[in-house]
Amino acid sequence: MENKEPLSPHIQIYRWHISSLVSISHRITGIINIIAITLICLWVSLLFLGENNYEIINLFLSSQIGKFIILALTWSFSFQTLSEIRHLIMDLGYGFELKITKIISLSVIFGSVILTIILYLVGKNFI
Amino acid sequence: MVQINLPKNSQVRKGRYFKDKTGSKNLRKVNIYRWDPSSGENPRIDTYEVDMDNCPSKVLDILNKIKNEIDSTIAYRRSCAHGVCGSCAMNMDGKNGLACTTSHKEIDGDIDIYPLPHLKVKKDLIGDLDGLYKQYKSIEPWLKSNSKSETKEIIQSKENREKLDGAYECIMCACCSTSCPSYWWNGDKYLGPAVLLQAYRWIVDSRDEERQARLKKVADELKLYRCHTILNCTSACPKGLNPAKAIAEIKKMLATTNI
Repeated sequence: MENKEPLSPHIQIYRWHISSLVSISHRITGIINIIAITLICLWVSLLFLGENNYEIINLFLSSQIGKFIILALTWSFSFQTLSEIRHLIMDLGYGFELKITKIISLSVIFGSVILTIILYLVGKNFI
Repeated sequence: MVQINLPKNSQVRKGRYFKDKTGSKNLRKVNIYRWDPSSGENPRIDTYEVDMDNCPSKVLDILNKIKNEIDSTIAYRRSCAHGVCGSCAMNMDGKNGLACTTSHKEIDGDIDIYPLPHLKVKKDLIGDLDGLYKQYKSIEPWLKSNSKSETKEIIQSKENREKLDGAYECIMCACCSTSCPSYWWNGDKYLGPAVLLQAYRWIVDSRDEERQARLKKVADELKLYRCHTILNCTSACPKGLNPAKAIAEIKKMLATTNI
């Protein structure tokens, strides 16, 4: 059809706010975590089939890429946990004022990095 | 549905460049979204050099100056110029707001002006808000009190009146609804922050007798629960209201009452 009314630009031009950034990251990390947990469950199931399977995956996780994936998943998990707490607070009806939401969102971002480091160090000492 | 890219007929091209003719040294570039329904061409961005020495403080003043002195073909809505009517809602520097209350000093660099996001464009900066008004009508935004006399005043206590603060001030400029990604993807079903804030305003009104029915009507996976607390609405509202909180309150009411 000629002369059809165009759609005005939306996500292409809209500026990101911290709250929208945390919101979309919450979804993305959620999807990543579901896939990761499924894979970890599969790995654990493979242990029943013998030592060989364990060795292969252990070798992979000890490599540079493996370590990066572990670290990334730890962050994704930390972020999701803290962000979920943020959502629980908002479900109770708190934290909607712009200033407070900014503080909470920033705490989620920085908190997730700190939690990642803590979890990594704790995990490293255990293994 | 989530559609990140613009349709083919909506993709924005580079437009004309209007060089300054006043010889002023204090110039600012203003990029404005243009679409002419009679041309059949794609939308374009026209750039204007505006003399800031002789321009008052708001973005609307820039638009008026361009229309009066540089290019009279530009179309935009405006009326009161005092942040009361909500006509000049548009997207400036990536954020929705009223052109008449947004100071251009707050914007760094070039000033980008677009129509409100994800609307059918009628012309230039004028978006089609019919869908939003239809949704507004659907929540029946008027007082429903069947039992009380129509000739007698309905008394409201101070406390109950206070519940309407932060909701009745809404001027329906649509800044919030059109800033909401959820409303972009599901604007045909999801009511959006502006309409939900008004739904809330009638739900909490102590004089209204249809509270239950109103709650029931709005309790819908798509109408209400598409709000994922992204909070773009609250940061966009030019009147400093909090639609996100109102939506959360409706959700809370639904969770705690039997309907």
